Amino acid sequence: MSVFMDLNLSFTADKKLLQSVVETAAHLGFSTVAINYVFEPTAKKKQDIPSPTPINELIDQLPVVQGRSRPIRVLNRLTIVMSDSSHFRPNAAEYRCFDLLAVQPTTDKLFHAACMTYDVDIICISVTEKLPFFFKRAPVNGAVDRGVVFEVSYSAAIRDSTMRRYTIANAVSLMDTCKGKNVILSSAAEKPLELRGPYDITNLGLLFGLSDGDAKEAVSSTCRSVVLHAETRRTASGIISTMRSCSESSCQQEAPPAAADSEAPAAKRAKHQLPDD
Amino acid sequence: MSVDLDQTPRSLLVCDRSSFLNEKNRISSQVEQLHFNYKVSLLLPECSSAPSHLDAVFNSFNSFYLIRNMPIYELLDKHFLKTAVYQGSVYGVSYRTRIDEDNCVALMPNGHLSLSLDKDSFELLGVEGKPSRFNHRTTCRYVVCVDLTDSSMAPGGRGYQRLLTGLRSRLQLKTDFLLSHHPGGGASLQDLLSRYDWSEHRPDVSSHTLTDLSCPALQSCDLQSCDPHSLLEWIGAVDAHISCENSSSSFLSSLVCPEPKTTVSRALSVSVCGLLLPQDVHRLIQQIRYYLEQPRLESWVSLTVHGFVDSPVSWRGNEHGVLRGGENFYSLLIFHDQTYQLHLATGAHDTCPP
Amino acid sequence: MSPADKKDKPADYQRVVLKNASPYHYMKVCLVLEDESTRLSAVDLKQFIISGLKSLYGEVGAALTFDLLKYDEDTLTAFLRVNSRGLVKLWSSLTLLGSYQNQACAFRVLQVSPFLLALTGNSRELQLD
Repeated sequence: MSVFMDLNLSFTADKKLLQSVVETAAHLGFSTVAINYVFEPTAKKKQDIPSPTPINELIDQLPVVQGRSRPIRVLNRLTIVMSDSSHFRPNAAEYRCFDLLAVQPTTDKLFHAACMTYDVDIICISVTEKLPFFFKRAPVNGAVDRGVVFEVSYSAAIRDSTMRRYTIANAVSLMDTCKGKNVILSSAAEKPLELRGPYDITNLGLLFGLSDGDAKEAVSSTCRSVVLHAETRRTASGIISTMRSCSESSCQQEAPPAAADSEAPAAKRAKHQLPDD
Repeated sequence: MSVDLDQTPRSLLVCDRSSFLNEKNRISSQVEQLHFNYKVSLLLPECSSAPSHLDAVFNSFNSFYLIRNMPIYELLDKHFLKTAVYQGSVYGVSYRTRIDEDNCVALMPNGHLSLSLDKDSFELLGVEGKPSRFNHRTTCRYVVCVDLTDSSMAPGGRGYQRLLTGLRSRLQLKTDFLLSHHPGGGASLQDLLSRYDWSEHRPDVSSHTLTDLSCPALQSCDLQSCDPHSLLEWIGAVDAHISCENSSSSFLSSLVCPEPKTTVSRALSVSVCGLLLPQDVHRLIQQIRYYLEQPRLESWVSLTVHGFVDSPVSWRGNEHGVLRGGENFYSLLIFHDQTYQLHLATGAHDTCPP
Repeated sequence: MSPADKKDKPADYQRVVLKNASPYHYMKVCLVLEDESTRLSAVDLKQFIISGLKSLYGEVGAALTFDLLKYDEDTLTAFLRVNSRGLVKLWSSLTLLGSYQNQACAFRVLQVSPFLLALTGNSRELQLD
């Protein structure tokens, strides 16, 4: 298991509210969170992709994670709600400002494309309406093989009982198809009281049809794979990234650290395990 | 739905009944093998203040030391090995780290160093280890265990050098660390302490008196007298100050004291918190036996010892983990005729206690 | 209840291993309310939890028995006991409870264990600074 993460805290312009959400997440034991900017293009007029506010402008002092002595890590994430294939522009420069990239396809065709070809980290499952399409095994398995994960968020289920039905129904139908692989559970919280602790979410995962182990991975290890997937995606698109490695060269192991960081990205190594089991 | 909502994760409870006079009793090894104890609590029925010899034990629990942000390679320091590890027993466990999330470290009294590491750290360290029992789909946690008293781990040896370079220049693992030493105490650790930000802590003793407590009528060795779960529930209720005065029809709670029951007019509950040594627990048990030799109104005493939730090891150095809760504790019920009942409990995936 | 391993030594050594036999699970929970001055009695709290069970699991869920073992009105912290078979249901309904009398609220589940004793000996609560 790795540290607990909540990769979806809704961005709001209210700085104080956002700070208190991040503080609550740290207090509940999350070590990494992502602030999510939602971009929903419409057919009528052209809109600009939002650009993320730097974390240090949003939060002056990062809160300490509960029971630990380190501060919380905050990432930026962009979610594109797609109703047309033109809404996702591969290699758009604006996307690179974000640590994580997610899409929420609203049609069968777009879902298939997102699973099979889009260079994204997360595919969001709608929890506020009845799914407009069925999950088919081929695209879902394709996404699992590519290391793309599916996200179910739970805060809508807390807000409203109709949404709760959609959340559970859509989550269960996803789990039936993907068998609990490559699923993350996140909050999409707008307020501190919409957040729940990592163990609560693990238990909630059982309602969505996940097993004990899968549910816990959905807030820890699988999220870690997402973050690593994002790192490799960002560096693979033509930008060379260099990382500091230790000077002492006495490592005789099969995976020397310097090589591990640049040639075989950590995410790839982590993901190799996924399909075999 | 594919998952049964009625299921709960595994839990284990081992019930031992024997006598201190029986040669086959393993009580001392069972006490010794749980290395990292967080809390000891004692319940003395029909007693309003602890007799001086028990009090003396509570107040003489070994001090322990907190070192902030200590690099783990310091545990391989030549001088530290010579003055602390080879002489007596060191008890060390990382503090403010969580076993299901972070890298955790434990130094056991037998000189074994156990590191529970996530995949990235394990690969950086480059020392042989094995996958953790707690992995699910992917292997993302590994356990590295080395014997610091082994000849290959002697300073200068190959294994020693490899681990030292790994911890010093590749992994650079740092954590807050709790340390205690038997029998040397702080003196044996002074050299290490002096190099870092450290503080000494006395175990925290608290006690309070309970009056008119209904308690199960415990008969010494009658094996079927009381169901172990309801007995433990009752001890837990007393410890948490939960009232058992309910009827089965009450709205709020139907928790009742197990039958057959009696009422004791007063009882004393004492608890000690900190990093507590098994040797001190053992001393306490000896004093309780001595206490029970004198004629009393109630002829039993209950002692509960909780292990650290986030320790990488539980009994016998076996791997320990947390799924939802990392309970590893034992509860000992001692009777005046030297018989005892011992309950050892662990959660989720831990191996069976000894 | 399955005694998995039973050894009878002459006269006085007995060892029994009970696996998954705990009849109850225990929870330590704390209610956080938007308006911190709101007062709740123990009966109110229990009614509120039952309403949560009912909204998620219907009448059958509302019939799930659980005990409010202890409640501190000042900190809104409670100890609950529930049949092991009902744990997932009780826990999930606490998780999904989002409002109390039209104000936002959240249950913080502090600890869950099959042993009540474990709730008083949690080393994660050790504060040394």
